[in-house]
Amino acid sequence: MDAAISGNLIDLCVVAMLLLSMLAMTTTRIAQLLNAFAVQSLFLTFLALVVADSTGHTELFILGGITFAVKVIGIPWAMRRISVRLHAGREVDSTMGIPGSLLICTILIIVAYLVTEPLMATLETITRNCLAMSMSVILIGLFMMVTRRKAMAEAVGLLMMENGLFLGVISISYGMPLVVEIGIFFDVLMVSAIIGIFALRISKAFDSIDTSVLRRLKE
Amino acid sequence: MTIPVEGILLIPVAAALLSAVSPNSRTASAVSIMGSAAVLAVSIPICMAAFGGTVTEYGLWYVDGLSSVFILIIGVVGLMSSMYSYGYLSHDEEHGEIGSKDIRQYHIMFNMFIAAMLSIFVVSSVGIMWIAIEITTLVSAFLVGFYRRNSALEATWKYLMICSVGITLGLVGITLMYASASHILGGDPGALDWPVLFGAAADLDPMLIKMAFIFIIIGFGTKMGLVPMHTWLPDAHSQSPTPVSALLSAALLNCALYAILRFQMIADVTVPGFASVLMIGFGMLSLAVAGAFILISKDIKRMLAYSSIEHMGIIAIGFGIGSPLAVFGALFHIIAHSVTKPLLFFSAGNVIQGYGTRDMGDVRGLRKSMPATAFMLGAGTLAIVGLPPFSVFVGEITVLAGAVDAGMYPVAVLTAAFLVLVFAGFTRNIFPMMKGEPEGEVKAPRGVLRMLPMATLLLITLFLGLFMPEIMSDALWSIADWFTGAT
Amino acid sequence: MIDLVLSVIQAIMMIALAPLFAGILNKAKARMQHRAGSSIFQPYRDVAKLMRKSENISESSSWLFRFIPYVCFGSMLLLSLMTPFFSAYVAAPYGDLISMVYIFTLYRFMMVLGGLEGGSVFGGMGGSREMMMSVLIEPSLLLSLMALAGLTGGSTMIGDIPRELIGMGAIVLTPALVLAASSFFITLLAENSRVPFDNPATHLELTMVHEGMLIEYSGRGLGLMDLSSMMRLMIFSSMFCTMFFPWGIALTASPSAVLIGLASILIKVLLVTLAIALIESYLAKYRLFRLPNLLTASFALSLLAMISLYIL
Repeated sequence: MDAAISGNLIDLCVVAMLLLSMLAMTTTRIAQLLNAFAVQSLFLTFLALVVADSTGHTELFILGGITFAVKVIGIPWAMRRISVRLHAGREVDSTMGIPGSLLICTILIIVAYLVTEPLMATLETITRNCLAMSMSVILIGLFMMVTRRKAMAEAVGLLMMENGLFLGVISISYGMPLVVEIGIFFDVLMVSAIIGIFALRISKAFDSIDTSVLRRLKE
Repeated sequence: MTIPVEGILLIPVAAALLSAVSPNSRTASAVSIMGSAAVLAVSIPICMAAFGGTVTEYGLWYVDGLSSVFILIIGVVGLMSSMYSYGYLSHDEEHGEIGSKDIRQYHIMFNMFIAAMLSIFVVSSVGIMWIAIEITTLVSAFLVGFYRRNSALEATWKYLMICSVGITLGLVGITLMYASASHILGGDPGALDWPVLFGAAADLDPMLIKMAFIFIIIGFGTKMGLVPMHTWLPDAHSQSPTPVSALLSAALLNCALYAILRFQMIADVTVPGFASVLMIGFGMLSLAVAGAFILISKDIKRMLAYSSIEHMGIIAIGFGIGSPLAVFGALFHIIAHSVTKPLLFFSAGNVIQGYGTRDMGDVRGLRKSMPATAFMLGAGTLAIVGLPPFSVFVGEITVLAGAVDAGMYPVAVLTAAFLVLVFAGFTRNIFPMMKGEPEGEVKAPRGVLRMLPMATLLLITLFLGLFMPEIMSDALWSIADWFTGAT
Repeated sequence: MIDLVLSVIQAIMMIALAPLFAGILNKAKARMQHRAGSSIFQPYRDVAKLMRKSENISESSSWLFRFIPYVCFGSMLLLSLMTPFFSAYVAAPYGDLISMVYIFTLYRFMMVLGGLEGGSVFGGMGGSREMMMSVLIEPSLLLSLMALAGLTGGSTMIGDIPRELIGMGAIVLTPALVLAASSFFITLLAENSRVPFDNPATHLELTMVHEGMLIEYSGRGLGLMDLSSMMRLMIFSSMFCTMFFPWGIALTASPSAVLIGLASILIKVLLVTLAIALIESYLAKYRLFRLPNLLTASFALSLLAMISLYIL
């Protein structure tokens, strides 16, 4: 593939991932949130494939395949099942309004850019520019975990952070050794499974998965 | 005879499987105790070899002196806590709080937890180390949420969420480090192996390493309980079953600490002095905040949890100072804290089960109602606040001496001041419990498997405070010299 | 000289075609909603009829009230001279993106004044809502156009942008362009008072924004205002089609290039019109308090476009 075009494709995938993070911040429905996560993971898959194709790092093909199976299909499907079983309602409550969240997101993006700017100069991968974007996705995921009150939304925030992390791994070093990558994937799977288990237990115990009920433990 | 490293990991996994198929809760407990004893027995020769300077390194594995310290701690604490678990859980079973199925599940998770923690210290790839640390979170989440009470679920949720975020940030740091290393090593697949990373440390990019270390100390610091990322810790420690609290405090926090130390060694070579500032800063903050919270705590287990934060702070300061003396002190302090804190948790567990409350204000007349526990609790308190002749005193005084020796007087003075604060908090909270008459009937829990681990731990902490075995001081000195690059 | 001639022809065509596309939009909407709908030439008849009617002017209003339709129409006339249509030649040599944005602002400001002048409650309500929206519309419009200028090398001259974009080849498909275009499209809907921001078909007092401001106008004044708002939609659509997706536009004055340009722009504007019709049929109008959400999203998109220029 032409280098300029694959560069453009990479950029488009990265920006799409960032946009989906922001979209997830604006959405008020659990189902939409899960869709946003699935589509974001889809773009991560594309990105891995494009990078694999243009740099010849074939293990990224495997990584892309696992991403697709786990994050585009597996986790969203399981979480949809869980959220149906939870009868948790379809809304995501946030402690902050949508315009405010979006503005904070843009500020986070600028912060991410400022933080990663000195680093980008030291890297030599063709995808090094994505580092700022990956940091933005991580920060927005963190922000989502802080402001959302539904257990499910917090979990999606964590998963989105992990998407950002994978983006970062790909962008600065074309992926880690395969053993480690697969281990991390297994981990992500376990995290979501265990979060699901505890979300079920919480909803059973509190009759709600609104995590603002979890405020009793203090001094 | 040389024992392969895999043995250390296979024993607890086998114990987990055996407890899964064991017919009743008694057998499951016995399996756990025997498994933990076997782990300790197997790890001793490997660790002794490592202390003697032999580095075990083959395949995925890498064990040196530093990791051996932690492996031995896990062996001892795991054995003690599996013994204590028996009596503790039987009490709960008698009172109908849990069923025998729960106990079996507890033992499966307990052994898996031990296996996950041990695997952190024996692998050479920092990537796999990260995975192992994450698995400890996942496995221990079930232990923290063992009582399916609302408050326990809340603590578990907080624990899972905060630690997962922390560990994700830690992985960002590892990624940055790997990016720098794979650039130097030209795509060497071993670029995540710690010995390779350490060997190439001088050539790594300083800017990347600085960023990486910031992420690592924030990420793993979350799991280690450094302030301000500590908020999960008091909740998780207070809500989990007491033997698990002891394991969390004395073993799990060390896991994250170990990861930070490994990266600090790399960062110290690449950008000398950078990591020290962060370690001392976070350590100081932890010490100050934990001291204040110890003073106002009402819940005994929360107070002990804050005390763990405090000791992690002291250890971070010790490693941050970075002179061989201070590092020696910090290493010794890790051991001292890990043998003393379970003693306190176990006595607190007896008190809680006897009185049915965790509120220290409601407990009176401990000396009359359960004299043995009262003695252990009192001795443990004196030990943990750092009074001679106990081992914590030696650790603290060595760290302080290291600070003075390195010319960091403000650090020494502030640390000493906060230690006085902690002392005040503990005496204010613990000793009033001893006096007076117990209100109502107090049913003191009994059992040799309860008292034996406590007595053992008390003896160890006393012994280490009075005489340090030569083999231990030699080992710790050689690690300290190696850590600071003096040899 | 040739650019002057071409741009005058373009301006005339845009004025002439504006009611036609408004008619097509209404017809397409009607068809999507399974109605027969009025003829696509109905807007011509409406405007012509209104022009012939006498005006009925509120007693409380001043000279400004009668003056405003002419200012509005004049500003749209000016903008039609500045916007590329089938060719990249534009007349106004001083017309750049920034002045364009502020002529739109002038139009909006005048319309709000007109609504207030009429002295009716609805005019004031419509005006205040319009102003609330414009606080968010203006920066995102400006930023998306600036991102475009940044992408093409920093020139804010309108005629240069299609030329530069075409000259860049496939590289031009950057995130910045896609983001700026999406932001611009949301702005297009908001500026032209389309669903989900406003419902151009309703005269229900609780919901109307744009129509509220026109409610006191009648006869020629209303005709001019209606024509200007159709022209505004036309100008926005052709800006969208010529500056963000300029392929097909005539870069030279040769007859073949002009013919291709004409055909392509008509198809593109038709597509945009149909897209708007689709959106209006399938989306409900947002509640007033939800509008800032969408507008902030548009603002964030354009800001992101700007940032991505620097990051990527």
